[in-house]
Amino acid sequence: MKKTVDVSIPIGPMHPCWKEPIRLKCETIGERVLRTEVELGYMKKGIERIMRGRPWQEVMFLAERICGICSVIHNMVFIEAMEGISGIAVPPRAAYLRVVVNELDRMESHILANFSYCYTIEHETLAMYLLNVREIVLDQLERITGSRINTAYMIPGGVRFDITEEDAAALLAGLARVEEDVERYTRMFATSYLIALRSRGVGTMTREKAIEAHAVGPTGRASNVPECDLRLQHPTYQKLGFTPVCRTEGDNFARNMVRFDEVMQSISLIRQCIGQLPEGPIRGGGACTAGEITYQGEAPRGELTYYIKSDEYGRIIDITVRTPSIMNIEACTHHMINDVTSVADVTSTFISSDPCVACTER
Amino acid sequence: MSLLQKLKNRVRSKSIHVCFVDVGSCNGCDIEVLACLAPRYDIEQYGIYVHNNPREADILLVMGAVTPQWVDKLVAIWEKIPEPKAAIAIGNCPISGCVYNRRDSYIDPPAAKHIPIAAQVPGCPPRPTEILAAILSLAPTIFENYEEKKR
Amino acid sequence: MSESIIWYLREFLRTEWIRKFLLAKTDPLVTPPYFKDYPTLTGKECTACYQCMMICPAPGAIAVLRHDDGWRPEIYPGHCIRCGLCVEACPEDVLQSGRVLEAQHRDRTGFRATFHLSIDREICMRCGNCCISCPVGREGEPDGAVLKIEKGGVQILNSDLCTGCKTCEVNCPNRGIRVARVVEGVQEAAA
Repeated sequence: MKKTVDVSIPIGPMHPCWKEPIRLKCETIGERVLRTEVELGYMKKGIERIMRGRPWQEVMFLAERICGICSVIHNMVFIEAMEGISGIAVPPRAAYLRVVVNELDRMESHILANFSYCYTIEHETLAMYLLNVREIVLDQLERITGSRINTAYMIPGGVRFDITEEDAAALLAGLARVEEDVERYTRMFATSYLIALRSRGVGTMTREKAIEAHAVGPTGRASNVPECDLRLQHPTYQKLGFTPVCRTEGDNFARNMVRFDEVMQSISLIRQCIGQLPEGPIRGGGACTAGEITYQGEAPRGELTYYIKSDEYGRIIDITVRTPSIMNIEACTHHMINDVTSVADVTSTFISSDPCVACTER
Repeated sequence: MSLLQKLKNRVRSKSIHVCFVDVGSCNGCDIEVLACLAPRYDIEQYGIYVHNNPREADILLVMGAVTPQWVDKLVAIWEKIPEPKAAIAIGNCPISGCVYNRRDSYIDPPAAKHIPIAAQVPGCPPRPTEILAAILSLAPTIFENYEEKKR
Repeated sequence: MSESIIWYLREFLRTEWIRKFLLAKTDPLVTPPYFKDYPTLTGKECTACYQCMMICPAPGAIAVLRHDDGWRPEIYPGHCIRCGLCVEACPEDVLQSGRVLEAQHRDRTGFRATFHLSIDREICMRCGNCCISCPVGREGEPDGAVLKIEKGGVQILNSDLCTGCKTCEVNCPNRGIRVARVVEGVQEAAA
């Protein structure tokens, strides 16, 4: 049967729900949305082109500024790729501190994503609660690294600042507050009738579709694809005994619940790290050399891949970055926003897959 | 000064509608503007409302180094804002291009080339308190006695 | 439905919530002492070694300028990204920012920078712009120069004297000479 289209509704690039410029074109019959197309390209800055010919101390900041929300993981994957090329060993204390900062960043990113979802479905109370919790997480990040966003914490062979006893105590006290609050908000989210009406059964993606579209991160894990969590392959996480969070529903509700659960998981991972933090140096030195590597890490939004080729002084000859959002945006437009009941569900479904346009286009 | 003007000054200083546009930043400044909404900073207690709709805005927050896609669209958004209006550059990107302002990049900074910028908030990204202070200090001076200045 | 209403009632009838509601107060908007703000001068003497400029990742963010009473680094807001690398790189502790300097003294961390010159013989056309523009060894000592045109090509005489300023790279008409700034993060063992 040939589908006839009444109106093609553009959403964006400047839209109150989008924090970043992106455009969706919805083809509608009456109130139903049949298909959605995504139009990208508003944020292309050419970061990979700027990176070429530069040493790590400049590329590190460019990599961080690929995305402001998940800046720590970009920094971490780039630095660990350079360490892999040059054979630099990381002191154990630094490896644990990296996990602490990375998980704090993941927490603030997930809380922000859930804030945007609640804001999009007009549940402003929970949105503001979440935004206030995020401030506590950012305070802890600032206490360790000195900045709220774009922290520049990791360098080849270690990290920049050590964590003192008072800092660790304050961090754990802050985490206790976050845990108490997030637990309450998770219950609010899970039991709210209003949220369930807008979330449960909306934008459902099955496991087969998720694997076919290569959905990654919380979007994939909400569709019962736990093996897409690349933290399983990271040596420090393996030592911590990490198991991914997973849900089977695959709808908007599951995606948000996965993120809430991962916040709680991050809190326990940070506690474990602080508990097991070994004594010793935080920097091992070592210069970057020539080589070629493909390195992957788990960003808050999914798998992040860096391909790097460097010359004998550690300057980048060639670099390619693939960020998780590009897979999630495509999976979202093809498999989730497919015959949804209204245009209002398009925005909320799209936001629930946590798109990051700055990441996607670089 | 007429009574009407006094009334207008008072109303305008207590109700500032803000629209933000991301013209190619790293996202960091966006989320710092969002953090201003948080109850900790509570931007609305000063009468600042973030609407993200240029047609009802007084102040445009420009974030990001201007990418080629946005060169004409930024001007279009600026023209849609009703008078009196002002634009604030948030972060390093619209001021200088930040770390992207290198050979081979696609960007076209500063934003002042495309639209008139009334104030700048440097920082990569600036703290929410700095953004708040900038909006609060700029708004009264721009909007005070607007009709008299225009004449 | 009823479960949801019960949750809302429980949420809003907590004593903590009611107390907060009645005594609502915005947190004081203070900048914490550990925030890495723009680097400020500590008052120690700058020796114009340019380590801060060489490590700075942002274009045009820092310049070491000569004043009447000596050299001083100057930070340009609007370009500076407040990363604090210049504070860590400075061997004389001229700059400070947040807790960076304190943490550096506590952990005995620092950066070790070396500079390497490489010349592409195929692109180089032996114009000598690099040798003339190089600011090192200008006091009339022929031995103190980094670069020299000899035997029909640019020879690197003293690569250890190079300060990594990239003046030669900027002045080269076809980017035949490249300066590599190799930086390592190092930590001295605790005494």
